Amino acid sequence: MPKIQFINPKEVRKAGKITFSDIPVNQYNKSIADEKNNFSNDDFIRILRDMQIIREFETMLNLIKTTNEYQGISYNHPGPAHLSIGQEASAVGMAYSLTIEDYIFGSHRSHGEILAKGLSSIHQLDDKKLMEIMKNYFDGTILKIVEKGHKGDVKDLAINFLLYGTLAEIFARETGFNKGLGGSMHAFFTPFGIYPNNAIVGGSGDISVGAALYKKVNRKPGLIVCNIGDASAACGPVWEGISFATMDQFKTLWEGDYKGGLPIIFNFMNNMYGMGGQTFGETMGYEILARLGAGVNPEMMHAERIDGYNPLAVIDAYKRKRKIIDDKKGPVLLDTLTYRYSGHSPSDASSYRTKEELEAWMEYDSIKWFGDELTTNKIISQDKIDAMKEQIISLITKTLTLATDKSISPHMDLNKDPDAIGKLMFSNGSVKKMEQGEPEALMPLSENPRVKQLATKERFAFDKDGKPVSKIKTYQLRDGIFEAVIDRFYKDPSLVAYGEENRDWGGAFAVYRGLTEALPYNRLFNSPIAEGAIVGTAIGYGMCGGRVIAEIMYCDFLGRSGDEVFNQLPKWQAMSGDIIKMPVVIRVSVGSKYGAQHSQDWSSLVAHVPGLKVVFPATPYDAKGLMNAALQGTDPVIFFESQRIYDVPEMFHEGGVPEGYYEIPIGEPDIKRKGDDITILTIGATLYNALKADDILKEQYGISAEIIDARSLVPFNYELVLESVKKTGKILLTSDACSRGSYLKDVAQTITELAFDYLDAPPVVVGSRNWITPAFELEQYFFPQPDWIVDAIHERILPLKGHQAKNNFTVNEEIRRNKLGV
Amino acid sequence: MAIPVIMPRQGQSVETCIITQWFKKKGEAVKKGDVLFSYETDKAAFEEESPEEGTLLEIFFNDGDEVPVLTNVAVIGNPGENTEEFQPSGKNSVVEKESVASAEETKPEEAKPEIPVETAAKHTGEISISPRARNLAEKLGVPFRQVAGTGPGGRIIERDVESYAKLHGTFTRLASEIATSEGSSAPLSGSGVGGRVLASDLSHETPGADDFEIKKISNIRRIIAQNMHASLQGSAQLTHHMSADARKMLEYRAKIKKKADTDDSPNITLNDMICYGVIKALKKMPAINAHFLGDAIKTFNKVHLGIAVDTDRGLMVPALRNADDMNIEQLSAELKKLAESCRKGSVNPELLASTAASFTVSNLGAFGVEMFTPVINLPQSGILGINTIVQRPADVGNGIIGFVPFIGLSLTYDHRALDGAPASAFLREVKLQIENLELNI
Repeated sequence: MPKIQFINPKEVRKAGKITFSDIPVNQYNKSIADEKNNFSNDDFIRILRDMQIIREFETMLNLIKTTNEYQGISYNHPGPAHLSIGQEASAVGMAYSLTIEDYIFGSHRSHGEILAKGLSSIHQLDDKKLMEIMKNYFDGTILKIVEKGHKGDVKDLAINFLLYGTLAEIFARETGFNKGLGGSMHAFFTPFGIYPNNAIVGGSGDISVGAALYKKVNRKPGLIVCNIGDASAACGPVWEGISFATMDQFKTLWEGDYKGGLPIIFNFMNNMYGMGGQTFGETMGYEILARLGAGVNPEMMHAERIDGYNPLAVIDAYKRKRKIIDDKKGPVLLDTLTYRYSGHSPSDASSYRTKEELEAWMEYDSIKWFGDELTTNKIISQDKIDAMKEQIISLITKTLTLATDKSISPHMDLNKDPDAIGKLMFSNGSVKKMEQGEPEALMPLSENPRVKQLATKERFAFDKDGKPVSKIKTYQLRDGIFEAVIDRFYKDPSLVAYGEENRDWGGAFAVYRGLTEALPYNRLFNSPIAEGAIVGTAIGYGMCGGRVIAEIMYCDFLGRSGDEVFNQLPKWQAMSGDIIKMPVVIRVSVGSKYGAQHSQDWSSLVAHVPGLKVVFPATPYDAKGLMNAALQGTDPVIFFESQRIYDVPEMFHEGGVPEGYYEIPIGEPDIKRKGDDITILTIGATLYNALKADDILKEQYGISAEIIDARSLVPFNYELVLESVKKTGKILLTSDACSRGSYLKDVAQTITELAFDYLDAPPVVVGSRNWITPAFELEQYFFPQPDWIVDAIHERILPLKGHQAKNNFTVNEEIRRNKLGV
Repeated sequence: MAIPVIMPRQGQSVETCIITQWFKKKGEAVKKGDVLFSYETDKAAFEEESPEEGTLLEIFFNDGDEVPVLTNVAVIGNPGENTEEFQPSGKNSVVEKESVASAEETKPEEAKPEIPVETAAKHTGEISISPRARNLAEKLGVPFRQVAGTGPGGRIIERDVESYAKLHGTFTRLASEIATSEGSSAPLSGSGVGGRVLASDLSHETPGADDFEIKKISNIRRIIAQNMHASLQGSAQLTHHMSADARKMLEYRAKIKKKADTDDSPNITLNDMICYGVIKALKKMPAINAHFLGDAIKTFNKVHLGIAVDTDRGLMVPALRNADDMNIEQLSAELKKLAESCRKGSVNPELLASTAASFTVSNLGAFGVEMFTPVINLPQSGILGINTIVQRPADVGNGIIGFVPFIGLSLTYDHRALDGAPASAFLREVKLQIENLELNI
């Protein structure tokens, strides 16, 4: 809580009541005749056309899925197709007034939204711009396919381009919008403002908030529409995203033109069902979804239910809500009522609803109704509508022909290029700043109190006589992280950092002390305690082109951001087919002393998921160099820190931590102490216990260990370790992670494969016990200790003459523990 | 027409032989029966004669080459004839140096035809050795099956091979070179395991640059070295000493010698008589007439007596099969024949395998040795050393102390196979057999 805001007990303790204003429900009540001033005949006809294109496109998909045939073309599509037949008016109405600068995010059922936004963008863009977009996208690969034999204007060509790119993507063709790596549930096309759909229900709920944050912080025009389903209203990420988006500070603490609400519309495409569960009357309790806005903020999120079966009602709502966004009074919640005729997926037998219900909705079918309205009002004749439909069928047929032709639309050839997907997992960029311009700061870097204080510190642990410098005088690991972070804040104007207690407090472990003085709210702020949204918004922010550091205060809280860390952050670079970059650093602090829910090292969990870079520095020099590398890169980096060692001085790098900028390449381990008889590979803080173990080995048994600090988990260059193992023939691996399933087990297994002939004993992993982390007073029985390392060496690798083991590392004990699962 | 000369197969277990010397050159004319080349197996040396008259057209292998048996070694025919078709398949018929070493070292395992395959395989499987130690053993030529493991659970690890190799290598190379160069023939006492001499045991005087000669040891020397070292490393052997009153035996010997000098009757030696007594003792107490197989003991019904024979090529221990079927004359004659064939190098290699004998006798009495600790030929569980005869004061009857000739007996036995009491009982039985010798002469 910032000091400038006073929480006055007199005020907050006063008696009173909360009053709510009315939430409009289906208030739109205009006829075509009423709207003639707002729409030209062409506009009306285009609305109908767009709805028809979407209907036909999805009808085709439905036939392909259920009958393997459309218009005489046979094809088997084994992948997903979650259709929204019936919902076309909602999609077209939503997209109608959006500009090219407005971004939409979607769900697994978003084909309609993609096409609607694409068609709207094509209408708005001039021919020159359209050609430029088509020519530049994948070097014109898609354009060349649809251009061949095309007769008609550029807009027609662009429609062909849109339909083909989407369908080829659904069919997993390399010529799709995302090289076939996204597919039906993830297709998108950023040049038209179409951002990723998301196969995880509610997945866009917090990511799109990050996109809105990006718009605001970087003063970009446009708003964000977060298209999610009614059932996602139950999901954590959606609530966390809404909480994040409605933080008071946007209106109270952010300054100048940054002041004001986030430019985002949470558009719930409310078709009343979450797969087979009825949200109205069964699985939710809101009765009318728009009610949810009432509880979030005094503006009640400007919530409204609108009739998604009338495109004009939706368009009307968007025009009104845009004004709210432009007035910086967002965010907005829309409950767009709609209904899907198609099943959740083609395998859906609709066992959860009656035929009568379905037919009742079909009575009001928006395409038929809107067509009738147009003919009644003599805007278009039925013949022309029929001709339009014929034209659309031939367009869809042509698109299907092209998209299923293997010679034109091949799948990615992994025989020819086995690394085709591998090379898309990371972008491996090196970019100083993600946005041009001067970074905003409140003072010159040299005047920053922390920077000035650090100038007085000793940057190496020992003085010139080799004596340790007093702790208070030394530069610490937390200072290394700080220096890299503040350096980047003064280089990259797009960089923002947030998390819990990041501002004022300076982070729970004083890493950010000094940043508050340097940066305005729009670059450093406190987030709600919502780890899902902390990471999810960072993903959206990075996806749009900004650089961000999000902080998870304790590693244990990573579980709260599980979907974001496991399903979103690692996936989007590759799933986009190299369109999206993800310059997102997640700082994760591994705790100790605080027991079972505040002391876990979960680095193994994130290392397991492809698509994340994972580092865990253990010295100030490495912390600064790796943070610099992470902040110069364009990939998601999970940056682990250990609370045990925030205060360690630099003991290894000659000359101490350099004052200037340097990077340590991610993925390169480092020898911290040379030795001959056994290699010890450490991750994180256990480096220091390994050093102590080596002291014991040297003094008591005349054995010297070569101690290698992994520094990174992913990527990881084995060469240095293998070289050491070839020399010593023995390796022990240790970290604070629980030993079962530890990433080091994976490393040990890989070393066994790569250096089997050189091994004098099996690689042995010494991790924490497979228990809860007990209280601080008992931690020595849980976390690996120096004597554990010595005992494990004695028992498993190299019996030490005269050594009496205190800890049980025998083979039988290992079997027993595994048998019990502890 | 050209014909090939092949490397003969000397015994079932022989896979390769080493050509020791060629006596004929390529292009030289040869007669049938001319010695073409000499060669040796692990245990014996042979000469190969020319099968036909003709010209030695081609020689495929040189002195020192190890050649797989039944491989073409040379071609004899008429000048100008094509020898191409006799070219041994691939030049790699010469076994690579590295693998020669390993092949030889695994010999003691392979050359145990009498051990059931299952037991042998099981034994192999039980060896626990790290990949690194195994590779090092192969590189250094260390027979890792004989190395004692000090790793977890007794696993042989790098340091075990290193220490083995250090001892082994130091003696045969550095230490022996230095010792040779100093011209010292006095036995050196070593501080290494099993009495091995370390370089540090020797004086540090640097020998002159060229006042010594380094000779590669022969194949047989190497095998002896390995087997003896393996025996001391791989078993629990110890020696008991005892003496037998030799008066009766000497009386017989005097009679026999006198008789043999006059007619052609067999010249039965003291050694023959002792062997005769040993055979009887073995029949009576068969516990030591056995092979120790690690997890089983194989006790023989018959006595196959190993007899140590000193030859100028080194120690050989041929077996006299079914020695318990022989009377003293037969025994004497067969032992003579066997020793002779060893010295000539024509002994059947099968008889040289340590598994061919059930028990061994080694006699150093002729050298004046008064007491020694013979080394067991594994997997046999005992060996009897015969010492010289010394005069000792003894009660010759009626309380009179006089000098009596006693012959020394040194029994080394493998404590893994039997304990001290039965071993001592056997030794006493040998003594009794000698003292109560009854010969029909």
